[in-house]
Amino acid sequence: MAAPPAPAVKTRPRPTTKPPATSALRRSQRRAAALFVVPFFVLFAAVMVAPIGYAVWMSLFQEHSSGLGFGGTQRVFSGIGNYTKALSDAGFRDSFVHIALYCALYIPVMIGGSLLLALLLDSAMARAKRFFQLALFLPHAIPGLIASLIWIYLYTPGLSPVLDWIGALGGSWDFYSNDHVLSSMVNLCAWQWIGYNMVIFYAALQAVPREVIEAAVVDGAGALRTALRIKVPLIASALVMTVLFTCVGAIQIFTEPKLLNQRGAPSVDTEWSPTLFIWKAGFVQHDYGLAAAASLLLALLGVVLSYLVTRLGNRWKAAS
Amino acid sequence: MSRTSRSFRTAAIAVVAALGLLATACGGDGGSTDSASDGKPVTIKYWTWTLGAKSTVEAFNRTHKDIKVEFTEIPSSTEGYSKLANAVKAGNAPDVATIEYQMVPEFASQGNLIDLTDYAGKTVKSKFPASVQSLVTFGGRTWTVPYDVAPQLYYYRTDLFKKYGIEVPKTWAEFTTAAAAVKKADKNVRLASMPKSDPALLAALSWQAGGKWFTTEGDAWKPGVDDAPSKKVAAYWDRLIKDDLVQSFTAYSPEETKARASGRTLSFLGASWSAGGMKTAMPDLKGKWAVAPLPNWGTAASGNYGGTSYGVLKGSRHTEAAAEFIEWLTTNRAGVEARLADLESPSSALPADPQMRPVAAAKFDTAYLGGQDLYKLASEQVDTIVPGWTWGPNQLDVYTAVQDATAKSGFGGGVTAGQRKAESGITERGLKLAR
Repeated sequence: MAAPPAPAVKTRPRPTTKPPATSALRRSQRRAAALFVVPFFVLFAAVMVAPIGYAVWMSLFQEHSSGLGFGGTQRVFSGIGNYTKALSDAGFRDSFVHIALYCALYIPVMIGGSLLLALLLDSAMARAKRFFQLALFLPHAIPGLIASLIWIYLYTPGLSPVLDWIGALGGSWDFYSNDHVLSSMVNLCAWQWIGYNMVIFYAALQAVPREVIEAAVVDGAGALRTALRIKVPLIASALVMTVLFTCVGAIQIFTEPKLLNQRGAPSVDTEWSPTLFIWKAGFVQHDYGLAAAASLLLALLGVVLSYLVTRLGNRWKAAS
Repeated sequence: MSRTSRSFRTAAIAVVAALGLLATACGGDGGSTDSASDGKPVTIKYWTWTLGAKSTVEAFNRTHKDIKVEFTEIPSSTEGYSKLANAVKAGNAPDVATIEYQMVPEFASQGNLIDLTDYAGKTVKSKFPASVQSLVTFGGRTWTVPYDVAPQLYYYRTDLFKKYGIEVPKTWAEFTTAAAAVKKADKNVRLASMPKSDPALLAALSWQAGGKWFTTEGDAWKPGVDDAPSKKVAAYWDRLIKDDLVQSFTAYSPEETKARASGRTLSFLGASWSAGGMKTAMPDLKGKWAVAPLPNWGTAASGNYGGTSYGVLKGSRHTEAAAEFIEWLTTNRAGVEARLADLESPSSALPADPQMRPVAAAKFDTAYLGGQDLYKLASEQVDTIVPGWTWGPNQLDVYTAVQDATAKSGFGGGVTAGQRKAESGITERGLKLAR
């Protein structure tokens, strides 16, 4: 626990009537501070440190049986065995390719889309700001699972009115086909999160000093130029933070591919994303060691990704 | 020692104490034993997803003073089994749970089941047909107690078969002809739907054709997910789907039910238990459905499509009471009757105990199937179940592999991937693989 550097109390150079009170206050302050901080550390230890430690411990063991397997199982120490098993599994490696492709499509759509909406809302063009703010944020208030179910309903042939309309117009579209399933998934996630990110950008835009914008206008900058040259650089911190959260969220994608898999999208298999692989290892294959090792590898990717985004973001912030 | 470190110590102690408290909160439970000598009834927990469970438990609790059953509904299939396996791992598993035959070897070999030989071995030996005993007996031990057998049945729309001039197909060749005739008569209607997402149905069809996805040789497993009969079945359905003669909806999905209810799908492959849910899923079609033996490959044969048994999960402190409840569920007249007493969704499963079949048949409302005797037909089909089938020690994983590959490259690819997964799963767990 970090404490403020305690000033030396050996000597009291300027004795006043206060000193004893001050030191008593300090003491009780420290106690109070400790009291306030304890719940955080209790929770942090209980829900972060302990599970991670347990995961590391589990990842070092494998369960073994012999013969037909009805004589019970044995837990054996396997060192990095589970890590090499995960990394040598083609399905696990492919899952990272899948989410890389997904991120390549999702992150530009998400960040670009929410930034555009926020800038539009912030500009004089938007008349009904409050309405759009609420309307765009509303999808985020719907739980992810429910949102997925709604979209899957709209995607499924035989149920979807959208597909009926496309059919009535003479067209055809298969939301689940290998070519379209990624865009279907991006659409589903973007719908849920675009309003949320937009609100963050919009709030950041409100903090941009109005006189800077007025100065730009006086200098003859148009709305587009003001947006790109003045507003966007000034909300760089919010942008970097949002990219970071979006990346970390995207690599953990679970609900959407899980439901698309259940509805029979052929290219979304049961280990399409790393989290699905982990779920399957733990709950279908009952291989808790492999699941723990794969989870830690995914967490490692998250750490590396966070570092990279922050690093690149800071460089960009410094440059602009 | 400075103040800072003392308050740090206080905090650290508080953290450790709180963690300890959490740990005991997770692991603690009031230990009690099986005997009800103190006069209080033993309470056992029961998790299931089967129809009619609520009325069954109510009936049991009404008639039993020394055992009280608490019932919780859980999801079926993969979600349900992972919930059970995790509960065992976490030490808060229920005492009794429904385990389908296909999951018995996996659950037993993962150490999730209590060996019931001493509690229910005699009952299983004396009351159930040998073909069913072999599904719950492994390594000479009895792991679960059977409830129902599920020989495959063929459900069809009598009115629409008449309308399109279709005879009930008796063989798979006739099924193909009928499917073509239906498509010719109406391009929006198909004879049936073959889901790519239900590997258990593919397994049952392979079983009917004489396939054996798993067998044991001595103390070694021998998988045959891609054996010749299974490949034949896979190729048959791949062909029908390629020729657009059958639909392929997601199994048990709203679109599948909608197509059936709206007359766009004329028939489906099921088992005795399928009838129970039809009344609620398609209330308007009362009297328009009938049931027949499943089409076959030339001689009468059937696979087991589903079928449930009851096991006691590891960690249970009331094995004796649990076994008593299970025996009542599976072999007692009152237990079987209670299951069918549920008005909304009665279970139409065919009891594996032959003595219980007339009991269930007498209780079942045949009006939905136009008065047809479902239980008589299903009982006759039990004798046609092809012997020698065994479920695997990593059945869920094999199913998932079959399902993933089927979605990508059809049933043919499914059985190949299933075989590979069966072999790799067995060796990875240290089990013996026959060569």
